[in-house]
Amino acid sequence: MDKFLNIISQSVVAVRAFKLRTFFCMFSVALGISAITIIVAATEGAYKKAYDIVARFGPDSLLVTSGGEEARAVGRFDKTLTLGDVEAVKQNFDTAYVVVPMSAVRNINVSYRDKKYQTTIYGSTNDYSRVWTWPVIQGSDFTDEDVNGLRNVAIIGKYVVEQLFGNEDPVGKYILVKNIPVQVVGVLSERGTTPTGANLDDRIVIPITTLMRKLQNETTYISTFRIRFTDQERLEQRQEEMKQFLRARHNLRASDPDDFRIVSPKEIIKFLVALTSSLTIFLGVAGVISLFVAGFVLANLFLLSVKERSKEIGIRRAAGAKKRDILMQFLGEAVIITTIGGLIGFIMGYVSSNLLKLIAEFEIYFSWKAFAAGLLLSWAVGVGFGLQPARKAANMNPIDAIRK
Amino acid sequence: MSLCELTDIKKTYKIGEDNVEVLKGISLKIEKGEFVAIMGTSGSGKTTLMNLLGCLDVPTSGSYKLSGTEVSSLPDDELSRIRNEHIGFIFQSFHLLPYATVLENVLLPTLYLEHHQDGLKARALHLLELVGLQDRAKFKPSQLSGGQQQRVAIARALMNDPELLLADEPTGQLDSRTASEIIKTLSDMNSKGTTVVLITHDENIASNAKRIVKISDGLLV
Ligand SMILES: Nc1ncnc2c1ncn2[C@@H]1O[C@H](COP(=O)(O)OP(=O)(O)OP(=O)(O)O)[C@@H](O)[C@H]1O
Ligand SMILES: [Mg+2]
Repeated sequence: MDKFLNIISQSVVAVRAFKLRTFFCMFSVALGISAITIIVAATEGAYKKAYDIVARFGPDSLLVTSGGEEARAVGRFDKTLTLGDVEAVKQNFDTAYVVVPMSAVRNINVSYRDKKYQTTIYGSTNDYSRVWTWPVIQGSDFTDEDVNGLRNVAIIGKYVVEQLFGNEDPVGKYILVKNIPVQVVGVLSERGTTPTGANLDDRIVIPITTLMRKLQNETTYISTFRIRFTDQERLEQRQEEMKQFLRARHNLRASDPDDFRIVSPKEIIKFLVALTSSLTIFLGVAGVISLFVAGFVLANLFLLSVKERSKEIGIRRAAGAKKRDILMQFLGEAVIITTIGGLIGFIMGYVSSNLLKLIAEFEIYFSWKAFAAGLLLSWAVGVGFGLQPARKAANMNPIDAIRK
Repeated sequence: MSLCELTDIKKTYKIGEDNVEVLKGISLKIEKGEFVAIMGTSGSGKTTLMNLLGCLDVPTSGSYKLSGTEVSSLPDDELSRIRNEHIGFIFQSFHLLPYATVLENVLLPTLYLEHHQDGLKARALHLLELVGLQDRAKFKPSQLSGGQQQRVAIARALMNDPELLLADEPTGQLDSRTASEIIKTLSDMNSKGTTVVLITHDENIASNAKRIVKISDGLLV
């Protein structure tokens, strides 16, 4: 152990003595590691965001939407789900503790006094807030009676509050929705935007009965419904059961495609990760290339250094250094340089990814993982590319080395 | 038992396709405590012989016993250990590490000791005092004169208390006054019990030794 420390102390001395070599190696490693740091942080950020969204969507939830994949692909949004489906699901799925139908109508004119505005109106039952774990922060959610009685009541998003009310308290006020007076009973907490840029706070929610009858002139069909299960761990199985159940209810033959789509938390994660993965791949390739460049810079500067320092190597060998002592010293020099380079790279990555976050609204999340990845990779570069020069130094014939 | 016992040592170097026989069968005994000068013209094989004596190289054929142990066929690590513990080298052009201080240079052989020893720094300072450089411990080699650098090299060679001190033309780059000081230091070390082998082609310098061995074209004469 003493000997190991002795030899590493010689590495430290050499790292300090050969400043130019140290600078160039450190700099190139720092560049590579900073790219890697950004990648790891960005990937983690993407996943974290995905999981945040799933947490809001509800990890125990399924969303069933009208129209199959094929119909959607050609731009048809047929309504195939019915209030009857919702009732049947309620009856037949024991572990479904919440089943809520939903429909939406886009681009509806709403106004309050002289303020006019266009937004999307969502119809739901009284459980909207609970189903979406989306708290009502002012006033209250609507009630069973509101839904059964087709009452003109609404809970509204923060953005709508800003557009129509400014600083005024909206609870209890009447707004006009397509010329129908509707009373605001509650305000939803702020949710921000989705990764695709949709503003979640730009919405008005009214009882689905009111929406169907008064805005859509519809009695049967709905666009989606949402289910939450108490047995979250069997969600995949429930999804399959739901599929077969609805296919049977819709009298589909084996050859027919689904006329509905079931969205699960898993698919949301897949989608969100795919969204950020192209950028991550680009950065990943750039990072790996820059690490290789750093490695080659290191290997070449070290080979040069070994040549220049052959006399030193000969002197050490004459004084009793074994081959592995020389190997250890040069490898130590490489690893010390890349470790410090890696730490600098991590700081550079930290700073520049925060800039990236500002400029590109890129999701970044730093954990010990980015740090560990940077450190491990800088060691890998140090050992991987420092080994050959160190071997060369160790295997020099001492007499030849000292004669130079 | 002799400290060094060489029997019919041959050394051949390969230069390209040609084999050049530099040592052509050398038999030599050096006893413990001796002060031997090896003399010969340039290219006669003195340095080659010293490298073999110091286990920096192995002979092509022949036997070399160091303190009774056959070393001509030992593995590299073992030769390193022997150099570290039993041999001190002094070179014509000093061969100090330029970026290390005088003290660090003297301590160099201790870095490669297999077992921890106490009091190394004190010993290094003591050796520097012995060669008259106690106040230069923190200097870099480039801040010293040639004679001073060679005395640092002597202190380094003595650091691990070797049985055999090998000096290859240690005064070759020094003026005659400084040279005789260096030789005096070596004589002092010898009188304290260290075996000294001094390579030179200067008659005057060689005359300080108790025995002179002459080598010519790879053979002792
Ligand atoms: N490593 C080597 N490879 C090839 N040839 C060598 C090697 N070392 C020495 N020689 C050759 O061996 C011969 C003897 O060299 P050596 O260095 O032993 O002579 P020397 O007596 O020390 O000479 P000098 O007084 O000039 O130092 C020379 O011809 C030299 O060219
Ligand atoms: Mg010579």
